[in-house]
Amino acid sequence: MMRPYRPKDNVQKKAYYTDRFWIAPRIPEEDVSQDKVYAADIEKIKAKFDIKKAYIQRGQLVVIIDPVINKELLFFLRDELGYDMLMELSAIDYLAQDGEFEVFYQLLSLSKRKRLRVKCRIKEDEAIESVNPVFRSADWSEREMYDMFGIKVNNHPYFKRILMPDDWVGYPLRKTYPLHGDEAAQWYEIDKIFGKEYREIVGPEIRDAAWIDKTDTEQFARYGHEVPKGAPYDSEPVKIDSFNEDAPLVETFDLKKSKIVDRDR
Amino acid sequence: MQQRNRLEPFFENLVFDRDDNTMVVNFGPQHPSAHGQLRLILELDGEQVVKAVPDIGYLHRGMEKMAENMIYNEFLPTTDRMDYIAATSNNYAFAFAVERLLGIENEVPRRAKVIRTILLELNRIISHLFWLATHALDVGAMSVFLYCFREREYAMDLMEDYCGARLTHSAVRIGGVPLDLPKGWLEKLSVFLNNLPSQIELYEGLLDKNRIWRMRLENVGVIPPEMAKSWGCSGIMLRGSGIEWDIRKEEPYELYDELDFDIPVSDRCDSYGRYKLYMEEMRQSIKIIRQLIPMYKETGPELMAKVPQYISASKEDIMTQNYSLMQHFVLVTQGMRPPVGEVYVPTESPKGELGFFIRSEGEPYPYRLKIRAPSFWHTGILQDLLPGHYLADVVTIIGSTNIVFGEIDR
Amino acid sequence: MAQHQVNYAASGGLPVALTTVDKIVNWGRSNSLWALTYGLACCAIEMMASGASRYDFDRFGVIFRASPRQADVMIVAGTLTKKHAEFIRRLYDQMAEPKWVISMGSCANTGGMFNTYATVQGVDRVIPVDLYLPGCAPRPETLQYAVMLLQKKIRKQSIFQKQKPKRLV
Repeated sequence: MMRPYRPKDNVQKKAYYTDRFWIAPRIPEEDVSQDKVYAADIEKIKAKFDIKKAYIQRGQLVVIIDPVINKELLFFLRDELGYDMLMELSAIDYLAQDGEFEVFYQLLSLSKRKRLRVKCRIKEDEAIESVNPVFRSADWSEREMYDMFGIKVNNHPYFKRILMPDDWVGYPLRKTYPLHGDEAAQWYEIDKIFGKEYREIVGPEIRDAAWIDKTDTEQFARYGHEVPKGAPYDSEPVKIDSFNEDAPLVETFDLKKSKIVDRDR
Repeated sequence: MQQRNRLEPFFENLVFDRDDNTMVVNFGPQHPSAHGQLRLILELDGEQVVKAVPDIGYLHRGMEKMAENMIYNEFLPTTDRMDYIAATSNNYAFAFAVERLLGIENEVPRRAKVIRTILLELNRIISHLFWLATHALDVGAMSVFLYCFREREYAMDLMEDYCGARLTHSAVRIGGVPLDLPKGWLEKLSVFLNNLPSQIELYEGLLDKNRIWRMRLENVGVIPPEMAKSWGCSGIMLRGSGIEWDIRKEEPYELYDELDFDIPVSDRCDSYGRYKLYMEEMRQSIKIIRQLIPMYKETGPELMAKVPQYISASKEDIMTQNYSLMQHFVLVTQGMRPPVGEVYVPTESPKGELGFFIRSEGEPYPYRLKIRAPSFWHTGILQDLLPGHYLADVVTIIGSTNIVFGEIDR
Repeated sequence: MAQHQVNYAASGGLPVALTTVDKIVNWGRSNSLWALTYGLACCAIEMMASGASRYDFDRFGVIFRASPRQADVMIVAGTLTKKHAEFIRRLYDQMAEPKWVISMGSCANTGGMFNTYATVQGVDRVIPVDLYLPGCAPRPETLQYAVMLLQKKIRKQSIFQKQKPKRLV
């Protein structure tokens, strides 16, 4: 049997079948001039900063910038344009396709009732400047981003893993990280509590929900080889009388043998 | 029988012996009033907190990674376990985000919208009652805990009648709701709603003029508006700081633009103001559901949007029409394929702004799904909020932020 | 003055009941199971509900304690993550003998729906478990039934024998 090919750089689950001629539709990227508020904002941003692209997608303005100006742009957006809250900050892993991460900042303006998303792309080994001086909420978001993707952030006040333990190996949300964890992850609690030599005693994790232990006669019975509950695995199976393999599948009807319930009919 | 193990106290470079007057206290991660698994490392000068370092992640279950390996419909029950006190609001936020990604949010039938809005508001009541119960218990009012849980059980009975589960509802589907309301449900709901205001008055009677309650809540945990904005607070944490912002009003979804309700705001900025807001929001929720009950009777029988490309047809069509059966088979085995693009969709959950960011690459599995959980930042604010307060106030402040660890750690 | 005067001569003589030490000790142990509140996730809410008004756990002698030193039974309610695993082991070690563990909900039993890198696949990898409750989340009635089963188990135990070391895994 051949082992199926699985790409190493992206272990995310894939659809098992895709039509050869199927082309995914796209959400339209609308022109910024459609919305007056956004159009005015983008004029002001363009006057001061060099932006790569701007469009409206599903009612929200998306601005794509160079990562070096992220802090200045957010300062400008907060102080001049009234985007006074940073609602979300995280990244997307495009390492397999482009060797880059996409970092996005989701902003909200309370006075204009508008939302804006700033996006920029950085290389794998690059670091990004912290926006913690602009918005305090970036403090934890950037730590989470580092924890999940391994993106380094410059000038962060307390740069440390936040969700995973400090001695964790790997960055879980990268596409190269398997869903069930690598070896260090799978033995993490055993190594920490009992030590590595206990790995054999405790045994590996059972990740398959349909897994059944063949030798366990307490909880499971083997089909066709049923032994009494708790008996040794290799003991003789219980004889089941009612099961006779030689019996014909359909018996011929015999009036003498049968019990007739309703003779009138 | 003690088993040999290697656990020796390990406190991450913390030095508990100090030369000066300060003392380091480890709080959690398993503390009865930490609302889950919050670990706080507090540096105390006498009884005053000098420095607080919240440590989270003790309930990180890898939901975002799970989402990347599941089709959209498969992920919906997982969202139940985020904010497990008001599960339907999570289901709804996710379903709504996917609907906007697909561009079918206007296809959802009106009856489904009415049911969804009723369930959302009922969950808001459940969540607020639970908040009051645990908060009062932390502060020391045990009887309020018992009274609130009594009322909450009646609301849970209603949820159970509708969807069969007490806690993890999965009561909303992408494109509508799976079931119509059972017979006699609206009457039971009316009975519950008629009973609730007198109960809220009872709680207020027990707490409002209670000297201990006021002393422990007034001027404790003051969040100035600038701080709330800077920390990305939302929901009652933001409205408790005098900022009028409710997504139900500002960016209305479902039927909220047709309903008449008020958004309570408090200028007090402290825990007591937030407590008053919770009580008032429950009354507003009652008002909203009362308006929705007559609306239900005017709607047609459709429950799911009719978009064969993305959403399975009704059971009757699947059983009678060949093409519907084929569509259903493809949607179940492969999953729907949304267009390429990304959306960020905020909704007003009982805790605050619950948003889903979905990046789709046209595959049945989302390329990236980021959950914007309000409690994450409400926990982060503790490191700026706690210094200067007394140790006894720490519990009050944690209680009044209304954090749930399922959605902080995800 | 005693409210009720006992007539020693009537109704079977002296107020003496004969029993074995096993029975009387196990009667005491099984009817005052103080539980350690080990609320981890969603199941903790159902555990609270079983302690609150409608389900009223105090009837069974189950009173939730916050300290492992005062607790007899640990109800592990919710998902155990890898980051938390060492703490559950430490708190289990701190509990005084005899001690029992109820694993409440699918997540604590097997990891449940969270088949991911961050979740311990069953709390029995770390501490020995006496009783597994199925359900996600189990209803308060289920938890009550579990406590009743545990009481049955305790009543069968002999107090003079040392508690058998429970099997891990």
